[in-house]
Amino acid sequence: MKLTKKTTMVLSFTLGAMLLATTAIADIAAKSGYDQLKDALKFTAAQCSDNLKSFTMDISYDVKDNGKTLSFMNQTEKCDRTKTAREETTSEQTINGNNYSRQTYFDKATYIRLSNDDPTYYVTEYTQERKDMAFSNPFKENNADDAEKIADAIVGNLKDNVVVTENPDGSKVLSGSLTEVQIPSLINALASFEMKQQFNGQQDNNLPHLSKDVFVKTIDGTAKINKDGVMESILGSAVVSGKDEQGTVHAITIEVLAKLTNINSTVVTKPDLSGKKVVKNVIKNENSGPEISNPQEFMGKFKNDILITKDGKFVKVGERIIEITQIDQTSATGRYYEVYKTGFDQYATTKRDFSFTATKSKDKNSPEYKFRTDAGINEAFFLDEHAGKIYLNESTTFSEGGIIFDSTFSPDLE
Amino acid sequence: MAVFQAALVNELEKLYKKKKALAALLLSLAVIVIGQIIIVGVRSGFGLRTAGSMEFPMLVLSVVVNTILPLFTALVTIDSFSGEFAHNNMRITLTRPVSRLKIFAAKITAISIFILATLLLLLFFSIMAGFIFNTNSATLDSFVRTVFSYIVSLFPMVVLALGIVLLTNLLKSGISVFFVSILIFLGLKVLGVFFSQYSSILMTTQLDWYNLFLMKSFPLAKIMRQFLIMLGSSIMLFTAGFYLFDKKEL
Repeated sequence: MKLTKKTTMVLSFTLGAMLLATTAIADIAAKSGYDQLKDALKFTAAQCSDNLKSFTMDISYDVKDNGKTLSFMNQTEKCDRTKTAREETTSEQTINGNNYSRQTYFDKATYIRLSNDDPTYYVTEYTQERKDMAFSNPFKENNADDAEKIADAIVGNLKDNVVVTENPDGSKVLSGSLTEVQIPSLINALASFEMKQQFNGQQDNNLPHLSKDVFVKTIDGTAKINKDGVMESILGSAVVSGKDEQGTVHAITIEVLAKLTNINSTVVTKPDLSGKKVVKNVIKNENSGPEISNPQEFMGKFKNDILITKDGKFVKVGERIIEITQIDQTSATGRYYEVYKTGFDQYATTKRDFSFTATKSKDKNSPEYKFRTDAGINEAFFLDEHAGKIYLNESTTFSEGGIIFDSTFSPDLE
Repeated sequence: MAVFQAALVNELEKLYKKKKALAALLLSLAVIVIGQIIIVGVRSGFGLRTAGSMEFPMLVLSVVVNTILPLFTALVTIDSFSGEFAHNNMRITLTRPVSRLKIFAAKITAISIFILATLLLLLFFSIMAGFIFNTNSATLDSFVRTVFSYIVSLFPMVVLALGIVLLTNLLKSGISVFFVSILIFLGLKVLGVFFSQYSSILMTTQLDWYNLFLMKSFPLAKIMRQFLIMLGSSIMLFTAGFYLFDKKEL
């Protein structure tokens, strides 16, 4: 049978379309190792925040220069969702050689902190119950979707570098390895530049000062996923190579390891405070940092000095005074005025004197009192209970006529 | 076959005489020179290695394959179709005792040869520049992979050319084809960022498929799928393009 031109064309077009459609569907359906890695991460995060009763997470990193450790951190985080309690133990050595260790404990009503340089337990008790402190799912944060898109775009073609090995028992190992040829030059250049700045910004002489031929040599990663789909460990390492001024080659190795262990068998214990030195602090909830519990403390006179510079010295020419006559959690009234010392009247040209009726900001926990001056300018002052000061937020913040501007007012107790 | 060969030689000669091909080659070399200057600058200025002798050709490829090469492929393709229609040269071509299919195939083969020639020339000069100016990082493995990456870049570029051929037969003016091609190209690039899970079917993402050949674990299944996707789209585009070309009244 001889095919006509038209049938041949229709046939070949259909063939092409079918070929395209089937492979495209197969390609989209075939989950790349990168997608499996993402899925495992999301699943693990969801399990940790919603399903697992308790677990221990170990996170550690170290930075080595030709095998010599420059910096490391080990963090063990124990979470118990049934008690909604969390315990963190961290020890680290920063790149400057300083050692820190820290122990913290959180639950709904308490926060306890202990660090290596101080045997005091700092305890904060919350009168209002806090929300679940055990573990929050990072993929449920607001920007997680956008961050994922950006990550996908950056990873781009590299996503096929993740190789999946499935074991007979259903567990999986995902691994990937990039050498300098596969790492896009731009990413390599930016990463090496960042590394170089990190090291060269430090004054410490123990650190290698990479100055020539800096480049990212390899990036490797391995993740182990158990048969339930939970990621049990993930290890990433990168080697950055470079030469210092003397021409010595340095291979800087960075390793990051995260492990999830003791699933459903982790026990979180509240530190025993009996017989220990304890500093206790009671607040409403963690957002109530600058809240003023007793605004009445701020009744009375607050002042600061009006200074000028003359002949290279500070000279006091007068005082700014805020006098608060009435204050509570909703409003405040008072007067602001300036007093100049005799002989310095020439500086009094910008002298101000006004009364105000301020209302407290509607924002919860804000110590801000807003008011409007007679000239129609919106101004505000803030109360700082910890320092016992008032900060005046004026619309004019530049110094006039050589007068030094100061917005901090201290109580006048004389 | 002899007829096809004659038609091909004819097309190649036209391409060669047009100077556009020469411009493309010169511009590609300029990319190598400018790229090398930038790299030397960054290296002495910031102390970064940026690219070793084997990374340099890959850097050049990643730039060229997304910029100059598609641009000149479009120009040469538009010239070969729209240009000839506009100047009525197509009448001369078509009055020869050669079937339209053979002329169409010859034109596309000529364009493919142009793309391959540009790629090989770029490969040669970027390897040379890489060896002369950059730290030696070559191994036999990376050398073979580099050569492969350049050669396989031909396939997505041919698919791109076929797409432009279809456009030249749809739209009359060469300039509108050029602008529509650029708009589609940019549009697909943007889509590729937003729908990265479907990006493998987009022409613009396929341009980067040479990366698959650089991987340590050779992803054969993925390469096969990509290849079949490109094959499928090129068969479709070829047939559709030829259908329009065949029906065109002079």
